[in-house]
Amino acid sequence: MTSSSTPETSLPEPTRRIARIRAELFATPYSVCLERPELLARFRKSAEGRQARREHPLTRRARALAFVFSHRRPRVYSDELIVGNMTSRRIAANYYPEGGSVNILEDIFRLEKRRIPLELSAREKWRLAAVGLGGILGSVAGRALLRPGRIPYFLDFFRAKRYFITEEAGVAHQVVDYRTVVHEGLRKADDEAARRLDSGLMPGGLPLTADQRAFYESVRLTVAGIRDMAANLAAEAERLAAEPGTPAKRRAELAASAAACRRVPYEPARTFLEGLQACWLVHIGLNLEDFEQGLSFGRLDQILYPLYTRDIEEGRLTPELATEILASFCLKTCETMPLYSERIDQYFSGAGVAQGITLGGTDAEGLDVTNELSGLILDAYAMVRTREPALHVRVHAGTPKWFLDKAVAVVQLGCGKPSFFGDGAVVTALEEVGMSPAHARDYAVIGCVEMGSQGRTYNSSDAALFNLPLCLELALNGGRRFPNVPVETVGPDGRRRRRGLGLGGRWRRLGAATPPAKDLGTFEDVVEAFRTQVRHGVDDMAKVLGWLEEVYRVSRPTPVNSILTEGCLERGKDVTWGGALYDFTSIQAAGLADAGDSLLAIKRLVFDEQRFTLEELVSILKANFAGHEALRAELAARFPKYGNGHPEADRMTQIAADAFADAVTSHRNTRGGRYVPGFYSMTCHWGFGRMTGALPNGRPAGTRLSNGLSPADGADRRGPTAVLRSAASLDSRKWANCYALNLKFDSKAVQGGAGRAALASLFETFFDAGGMQVQANVLDAESLRAAQRDPSAHPGIVVRVAGYCAYFNDLQPAVQDEIIERTAHGVG
Amino acid sequence: MASAEPRPGRRRDEAKVFSIQHFCLHDGPGVRSLIFFKGCPLRCSWCQNPESWDTGPELAFKARLCIGCGTCRLVCSHGAIRVPAHPWRDPSRCRGCFTCAEKCPTGALSRFGEPVTVDGLVEEVRPEFPLYRSSGGGVTLSGGEPTLQPEFAAALAGRLRSYGVSVAVETCGLFDMDGSGAVRDLLNNVDLVLFDVKVYDEESFGRLCGGGGTGAGKAASRIRDNLMALADGLGSRRGPRVWPRLPLIPGMTDGRENLAAWAGFLRKAGFGGLTIVPYHALGESKRVWLGLDRGPALAAPAAEDVEAAAGIFRSVGIRVFSPGEEAWEAGTRAG
Ligand code: SF4
Ligand code: SF4
Repeated sequence: MTSSSTPETSLPEPTRRIARIRAELFATPYSVCLERPELLARFRKSAEGRQARREHPLTRRARALAFVFSHRRPRVYSDELIVGNMTSRRIAANYYPEGGSVNILEDIFRLEKRRIPLELSAREKWRLAAVGLGGILGSVAGRALLRPGRIPYFLDFFRAKRYFITEEAGVAHQVVDYRTVVHEGLRKADDEAARRLDSGLMPGGLPLTADQRAFYESVRLTVAGIRDMAANLAAEAERLAAEPGTPAKRRAELAASAAACRRVPYEPARTFLEGLQACWLVHIGLNLEDFEQGLSFGRLDQILYPLYTRDIEEGRLTPELATEILASFCLKTCETMPLYSERIDQYFSGAGVAQGITLGGTDAEGLDVTNELSGLILDAYAMVRTREPALHVRVHAGTPKWFLDKAVAVVQLGCGKPSFFGDGAVVTALEEVGMSPAHARDYAVIGCVEMGSQGRTYNSSDAALFNLPLCLELALNGGRRFPNVPVETVGPDGRRRRRGLGLGGRWRRLGAATPPAKDLGTFEDVVEAFRTQVRHGVDDMAKVLGWLEEVYRVSRPTPVNSILTEGCLERGKDVTWGGALYDFTSIQAAGLADAGDSLLAIKRLVFDEQRFTLEELVSILKANFAGHEALRAELAARFPKYGNGHPEADRMTQIAADAFADAVTSHRNTRGGRYVPGFYSMTCHWGFGRMTGALPNGRPAGTRLSNGLSPADGADRRGPTAVLRSAASLDSRKWANCYALNLKFDSKAVQGGAGRAALASLFETFFDAGGMQVQANVLDAESLRAAQRDPSAHPGIVVRVAGYCAYFNDLQPAVQDEIIERTAHGVG
Repeated sequence: MASAEPRPGRRRDEAKVFSIQHFCLHDGPGVRSLIFFKGCPLRCSWCQNPESWDTGPELAFKARLCIGCGTCRLVCSHGAIRVPAHPWRDPSRCRGCFTCAEKCPTGALSRFGEPVTVDGLVEEVRPEFPLYRSSGGGVTLSGGEPTLQPEFAAALAGRLRSYGVSVAVETCGLFDMDGSGAVRDLLNNVDLVLFDVKVYDEESFGRLCGGGGTGAGKAASRIRDNLMALADGLGSRRGPRVWPRLPLIPGMTDGRENLAAWAGFLRKAGFGGLTIVPYHALGESKRVWLGLDRGPALAAPAAEDVEAAAGIFRSVGIRVFSPGEEAWEAGTRAG
């Protein structure tokens, strides 16, 4: 048979070096690093720390961070070309006593038995317990919520129903100004801070306030700490280079790393290697000051391109070597992971922290700037194929065909990467929240799907997640949750559990006091009650977020972030004080399609066809369809659903989305920034689903909700083009925090050159029609097996059989087996 | 239906289709929509789309989806349904009214074969036009056998092409080119003909594909004559591109003799490319849904067997492709 890949889209195999590092990482068990909390404790007891207690909270914080930076033990691992250990272990979670890490204590007696096991010695477990318990009162959540009148909100973290406040664990989710890091160095900020402190004046001539003085001091302290960290790494590389057994080639590499760390990130980078090294060191700094989620690199292909071309011209670098350095960089991103207890893992499954790299796109004028490096970064990822980093590709009318083809070839590898963003819709949404066109066009993706103008935005892009369908439950029941019913649920791990629907909030009214079902006489009444519940939930959530912002402002500012976010240095203000040029709080909803489809089901069943009164329907829902299996089946199988290009269903989804977007955008955070909505759910659609009763669209109580902008489970009956049509038909102008739309394919369905061309066309057409984000998961045999065991795990997988495509879930088990076989063996 | 002569449904304004699928990548170039016509003159024992055989609508029962609610029994006024025991339907009593399928809440009972119009189909595929354009795809008329409803198919193809949509037709090759001229019209109105080549030998063809009535002694040679005529450009320069496809069915079409005979024939007819479609057992589910006897137990061919078959064609200079990977431009005509 003919070969399936054309030469111009072939992807490289890993080099021997990359294969070795990769193998080492895959053989390493995950762990928890306690170096950071122990250094913080040591700092507090030190003379400097005791003295710092009397200082401004920001300089105190900067001193503490600088202490961590300069005292952490440097580790350089074999073979790597980019150096700088993220933790004290090969792969580990950093521990944030100020943040949400304490949740891990829930698992302390079963760390090795978790789905994602953690390896710690008995002694380390004791230390972990001590660090964890000691930190609760001083944590952000503890400070904000362990107060009279706020305790129930603290407890909400353990029983998230309407919303899950991620910001309690940290803000992070940022793409700082790596362009300045690489081309001007931290020196730029340091010099500016020195000028302000020396003159005692702001540029306009006004004297520095105490806060401003503290800010500029924090800049200098922090930069010094990062320089120390880099110098320690340089010394370690030099030590290894001098070891007698080190081969000459490795010695030269170590010497190059050492030289780089002696220079960057303080001075501007002179070479491609120094550029990447600078980014990595700053990235460590950001990880150690806030928490690990969503800290992203931005448009690395743009930032590094001048260094790359100069190195190539001057003969220092080849494209192959550049790819290997990039692959080594990608592998560095695998050294970290989040610390979630298994309970929290229901909401954020999969050990991802989403260190995003954005590729392609346009310049400030809208002209394409995809370059050779954009392609090499894809090549580098093809070598590593790991869960990190996250890769994002910007698509616009001028995106070169070779690049889109290559990006889709990487999708075909089956790692779910890269994801694709439509510049048109993204830039429109960013302009809508006040960005200049040039700044909007310089957007980079933060974490999974969120977006910010790179180096100019403080997004808090994952401040909280919101359970939209629960608001419909509350609207149908006068603001109360449905009574508890035992349900069988299947977790993301595939385990079945029989349990109640989650306690809490049943003895009191959780939502707004909307009228009881019997008084909702029209469909518009139902929608209004739903809107009220959404508003009420968002108001509640915003109140808690406001308390957290206060704690961040006073006790946990983030100087590294502030040094590299435009606006802060100019105004002498930390990002947590509102220093950034653009400031947002971003809230995401889960279960959008469930909410929209449910509205349509109510409209048809109760108001159009009048088959039931609303009260009757509500009592059926409260009983989780007991005795009404046929109705449930009919609702699930025969009612129109979002995701099929059905205009009325899509309109209902828009109504649900607008209810959420209007509630969110009506708020301002305490920094003066806007609230912006997005539609994605991490794996919150599982966790929220467990807390949510039966829905009118036929979804049983306790099962997972729809995910991001994807159709509800099994609702997309007309294939991927109809899903994309429905998604593109929604008005996304207000959704400045983007959405996640997942498509799933059997790898055979989209293999080879034909599959690549088809996916590329599919995405282009989607973005032409106004689409914002899409990612395609090409599933392998393992995922298909999971789908077979639990059809809800991967609904809507399209499998191809010569001349015929079918939904995997529709097939007889024996045929499913056969397709799994085929997928596993590549026959067909 | 079992006769080679097409029956009702030969209307220009209405046809029966049993499925429409979008985003198909393996039945012609680019991204395509497939329209599956109902009715086929053959009964190949390995058929993957048995719901295509009968021209009329059919009732299918997917036992896995049934929740035993009894709605179907209540609504059937002919007493044709017993639930949940099998057989679920008494065919001698069923009047084919499909009330049960309309009322079944789960979709366990469903109808294969909806009447469609040209306008309806054009509206169904219209949202896909941009994707056809960007991918170089279009619409493929499949089945069943689209040439059994040639007037309708030609009208549909003409309308689609008037919008600049490329149209392909998939055929088993058993049609009467000269009869009413309608088939010729259809074939002259499409851009690509995907022509099945299955069993060369007349006697084996009757046994494996005839199903009963169609053998008529001459089917295999008629198919070959039709393919030869198409290869000659239908006597006109503007004829469609023609592309042979061979379903590789273990023990049925994969014999050396059969493959060598086809290789020689295709070579003589001037074909430079061929798609080999390895067998897959997807059709099994559907036979059960339709209450048909199970087909023969077959396994998918091993990769070596596919390679061996390909080798036979390659040895006479014919390039061999997997579905979706064809070099349409390069391979139609032999060197
Ligand atoms: S109506 Fe449908 S679900 Fe109910 S018993 Fe009949 S076939 Fe089964
Ligand atoms: S098609 Fe009509 S007659 Fe036949 S089983 Fe269904 S309801 Fe009864």
